[in-house]
Amino acid sequence: MTGFKEDPVLGTNDMIVNKEGSGTETGSSSRPPVVDKAREEGQSGRDMAGNSIHRSGSRPQLDLSKAAIQGNFEERDPTILLPNQSDDISHLALDIGGSLIKLVYFSRREDRSNNDKRTKTLQEKLGISNGSRRSFPVLGGRLHFVKFETAKINECLEFISSKQLHCGGVDVCNGLLGAAANNNAVIKATGGGAYKFADLFKERLGVSLDKEDEMDCLVAGANFLLKAIRHEAFTHMEGQKEFVQMDDNDLFPYLLVNIGSGVSMIKVDGDGKFERISGTNVGGGTYWGLGKLLTKCKSFDELLELSQRGDNRTIDMLVGDIYGGTDYNKIGLSASTIASSFGKAISDQKELEDYSPEDISLSLLRMISYNIGQIAYLNALRFGIKRIFFGGFFIRGHAYTMDTISFAVHFWSKGEMQAMFLRHEGFLGALGAFMSYEKHGLDDLMVHQLVERFPMGAPYTGGKIHGPPLGDLNEKISWMEKFVLKGTEITAPVPMAPSGTTGLGGFEVPSSKGATLRSDASALNIGVLHLEPTLEVFPLLADLKTYEPNTIDLSDHNELEYWFTVLSDHMPDLVDKAVASEGGTDDAKRRGDAFARAFSAHLARLMEEPAAYGKLGLANLLELREECLREFHFVDVYRSIKQRENEASLAVLPDLLMELDSMSEETRLLTLIEGVLAANIFDWGSRACVELYHKGTIIEIYRMSRNKMQRPWRVDDFDLFKERMLGSGDKKPPPHKRALLFVDNSGADIVLGMLPLARELLRRGTEVVLVANSLPALNDVTAMEVPEIVAEAAKHCDILRRAAEAGGLLVDAMITNSDGSKENSSPVPLIVVANGCGSPCIDLRQVSSELAAAAMEADLIILEGMGRSLHTNFNARFRCDALKLAMVKNQRLAEKLIQGNIYDCVCRYEPAN
Amino acid sequence: MGEKNLEIVQDQTATEPNGQISHLALDIGGSLIKSVYFCRSDSSGSGDDQDHECSANGGCAKKRPAIEGSLHFAKLETSKIDQCLETIKSMKLQFNGFVHQNNTIEDNTIKDTSFIKATGGGAHKFADLFKEKLGITLEKEDEMDCLVAGANFLLKAVRQEAFTYIDGVKEFVQIDHNDLYPYLLVNIGSGVSMIKVDGDGLFERVSGTSIGGGTFWGLGNLLTKCKSFDELLELSHRGNHRVIDMLVGDIYGGMDYSKVGLPSRAIASSFGKAISEDKELDDYKPEDIARSLLRMISNNIGQISYLNALRFGLKRIFFGGFFIRGQSYTMDTISVAVNFWSKGEAKAMFLRHEGFLGAMGAFVSYDKQRLDDLLAKESLQLQVRTSPPVDTDYQSPLNGESIENETINCIIHTA
Repeated sequence: MTGFKEDPVLGTNDMIVNKEGSGTETGSSSRPPVVDKAREEGQSGRDMAGNSIHRSGSRPQLDLSKAAIQGNFEERDPTILLPNQSDDISHLALDIGGSLIKLVYFSRREDRSNNDKRTKTLQEKLGISNGSRRSFPVLGGRLHFVKFETAKINECLEFISSKQLHCGGVDVCNGLLGAAANNNAVIKATGGGAYKFADLFKERLGVSLDKEDEMDCLVAGANFLLKAIRHEAFTHMEGQKEFVQMDDNDLFPYLLVNIGSGVSMIKVDGDGKFERISGTNVGGGTYWGLGKLLTKCKSFDELLELSQRGDNRTIDMLVGDIYGGTDYNKIGLSASTIASSFGKAISDQKELEDYSPEDISLSLLRMISYNIGQIAYLNALRFGIKRIFFGGFFIRGHAYTMDTISFAVHFWSKGEMQAMFLRHEGFLGALGAFMSYEKHGLDDLMVHQLVERFPMGAPYTGGKIHGPPLGDLNEKISWMEKFVLKGTEITAPVPMAPSGTTGLGGFEVPSSKGATLRSDASALNIGVLHLEPTLEVFPLLADLKTYEPNTIDLSDHNELEYWFTVLSDHMPDLVDKAVASEGGTDDAKRRGDAFARAFSAHLARLMEEPAAYGKLGLANLLELREECLREFHFVDVYRSIKQRENEASLAVLPDLLMELDSMSEETRLLTLIEGVLAANIFDWGSRACVELYHKGTIIEIYRMSRNKMQRPWRVDDFDLFKERMLGSGDKKPPPHKRALLFVDNSGADIVLGMLPLARELLRRGTEVVLVANSLPALNDVTAMEVPEIVAEAAKHCDILRRAAEAGGLLVDAMITNSDGSKENSSPVPLIVVANGCGSPCIDLRQVSSELAAAAMEADLIILEGMGRSLHTNFNARFRCDALKLAMVKNQRLAEKLIQGNIYDCVCRYEPAN
Repeated sequence: MGEKNLEIVQDQTATEPNGQISHLALDIGGSLIKSVYFCRSDSSGSGDDQDHECSANGGCAKKRPAIEGSLHFAKLETSKIDQCLETIKSMKLQFNGFVHQNNTIEDNTIKDTSFIKATGGGAHKFADLFKEKLGITLEKEDEMDCLVAGANFLLKAVRQEAFTYIDGVKEFVQIDHNDLYPYLLVNIGSGVSMIKVDGDGLFERVSGTSIGGGTFWGLGNLLTKCKSFDELLELSHRGNHRVIDMLVGDIYGGMDYSKVGLPSRAIASSFGKAISEDKELDDYKPEDIARSLLRMISNNIGQISYLNALRFGLKRIFFGGFFIRGQSYTMDTISVAVNFWSKGEAKAMFLRHEGFLGAMGAFVSYDKQRLDDLLAKESLQLQVRTSPPVDTDYQSPLNGESIENETINCIIHTA
């Protein structure tokens, strides 16, 4: 992550100066030509070895994607488990409970003051005058969720101390490290321990704990989560989790049931508006207390685990026991309904020792969960509340507990109400305490500005800290190696049968899962919340509420298994490439191994519990892999491949352009679309295609592929698109004003496919915005790389050159050979914009602000490639014309999506309304 | 106790002049068997004194022959079903009037036509046993029907049947027969049923909970060495639940959590203190455990009952079932819970014959079906002649049992 700063050629400030230069038409003559840059780049790429990041800072023309560069840093920053010592500034809030200490802390990322200037420049280019479109009240950064056992409070204190979390103080606007001198630092805290351990914190860390009311914190935490995190809430019936998207405008009132030692039921009417309306003294403390007396369990978790293997029929009196095995139909009680909890334990002949602790634990669990569900339902009914959220330590993601509560609510409400649970349920209080800082700025945070990422330890620890905080990558890798080898303290997850069998609903007898299942197996993992204030909703989505990026729903177990197999099979090759991309050194190999372990662990965890990381779509899975690579400092695995292919494709581009120019307008348009589809065959994400590459050169494959483009394609709206472009008869439709082209792969895909299409649009007077990834993913072209490609192509093509100049892409080139550029009054610009993500897919709910700005005046969207037009957004609807182009390079997907075969093509055109 | 009580009853019946037991009805629950039976007195059949009585059904009885006698209440643990069978056998029940019409008196020896009204889950479960051992058919009556019929009968027929119990003070409540419905009947047996009653035969089970008497006894049995429900109850009377329950004050350093209106004495978590690491089951006194259990369960039932009453706008909640047994502490806890959650709006009421609602209902059901068959147009009407609340020292914890020795003198009109 230090690569940028250490860059000997260009520092951050140089970038800004350069950008300002590019904003003004004159520019600065001190910039070396792009071509040189590229050459320099090529060299450094070859002998780069360990200095992988060097490249990213050395290109002045890449200013548009600076956000991506920062993001890049960001991703390589440590995670929940292994936070970097160099976190700029943090603040911290605690919830010190009887058994667990929960920490929520915020680490801010680098100062981004230069960002505004850059945005302004871009806005000028995009012709957006409204400078005050969005000011960012929220600081970018990350929100971490961590927990410790209260008994091990020393580890917690060490963690805080080593990360200097206590030095952050309250005021995020103040200086960073200087704050350490602050002896009057105050940390917000809640929970009973906030009183108990106040002195200890003062003594050891020199900080005072500022106690916040528990209930205030709970509600504040829940409100924040429900509003800011998509799919925070889920239902849990019959072992199946289903994530529920809350409507911000229809959230209140809700009932928050917090199950701690006792149970509080809180009616929440709004921010800071709530009332404790009820509760019950039969809660988690009762379960643990009675359980402890009745079994020899030493911990709550042990007791919970016991219940997994229990059979409550030996202890509970069921309706069937009373009615001789028959249902009491008249009042709708089935024979398996519990008539009396512990009702069978009245037998004279049996004593405590005669009952198995497992059965006792389950019977207790059911009794208490069911009771809480019932009382919660009755209270919700009383106040006309439809939504009940259950939280608190009693639940702990435990499947039976959630099922029993859900069953109770469902049963008593006759299906009218649903029990819901929160993914971050354990952190409500800590988060609320965090929210009580006056200047956190999180209130304004919107759901689209948060990205949750799961660092390498996530599948194992679920937020629990194991071992001392790790400072650098080396320690991370060591940790990874150690625990996989040792496998003692932290048990690696065992892939299990589909989650459908995790728990049975209601009072039915649970199936025994054997001893292999950890008690927290169905608990959900919590990632790091990345606060990206610059992310916005793509403004051209027709209906944000119904938009679902993922086309493939991985809640279908077969689908899940298939994609997991694909990813697993692809892994060795990916690791080889990754190691090679970092020079093949021992260090790179070690990192490669650690990556393989970490990503395998993610996959195993998700196989075991597909909902572990929240709602899981294929896009999430693919992004997870990229994030995992970045975590182990594999910056750009396909870099050399991409370069090679770009060069090869650029070499044949002039011939292609000539060929195209010789065609009639109509033929050309078809050839261009064919070209896009044909070139889309170059995809390192597709196994089938990779095998193809061994059979010929790029251009050979491209031509072969194009020749095979027999219309009609499997999905073929070309005629419709053609009519919009060229009209029919004498009617010539006006050209689009601005087209957004979401590009996919490097090499032939962009050079021979998308670039010629962009050129055609430019020729017709349409502004073109090439939308590329902010961060590398597979061989996808990034926003950093596109300008270079454009510059190279522009050498052979006036249309591209003028447009690129107008779009500010060719600062340097303009100086050398565009003296007469003014003669061409106002050429339409070609602009490159980073999309804000680093995944082969794109979630249009969270795109960069520059893309959002660019979209404002766009009236045509072209989505290209499987990731962005099939895996995601295949069903997305837009407010403007949309063209989705892709070659399907996966047999299964072809069958599923278009009832076709591998290498079939999709040309889907959807006019605005 | 069961056996002993039954013996007492037997003794009583033996002392009754002409004590002829008939009209036995049973409520065979998961834990206890409750019985109600009618014992004929000498004057039965005289029919002299019925016209000054008020009929349970509110109507004025015509002058007609009546069987005079008394209603007896008895109970026994279900696990001792064999004893129950023995007792019934020894009672030499006179099944006059309870034989199918097509049988003559001489055929009375043909046992398979004899029957007893019975309700409760055990009426299904033990049907074969009764048939086999006694040759008696159990005529099954729906449990809920019986409960409601029993409660309706008692509330109307017995003047001082319902009472409140607050801070150790028992106060009888006069029920206006015209303003009885709707009410919530909470029957606390092994489990708990909550029934909304709108009139005779008009009711709906609206809720319930599995945390009931069986839970108290079951958990109590596991946690203490108590051999019986009553022993457990007695223990609880001497216990201190604060040793085991986590109170609001324990969490908030002895202070009230006034913000949400929780006094420091309120139980925050039942058994919440038992999580202490250095203590095991043996380190706690059985008395304290029993008390904590009782409070947990009573409080919970009170709360759920209140919430259900609220839901249907019911002002009166009657608690019955064997769990209560006139146990002052139980009644107190339930009353407190109802009072607390309703902020004083609702009052918990109890029934003197709480344990016998089902059996009583089964008994009353003789009226509707079989007697009509046998006695042509005559109907059985129970008329309460005297129902003295003999138990003046109700405050003592266990004398709820005295109910079982109590009889209700009544008349069955037969003409």
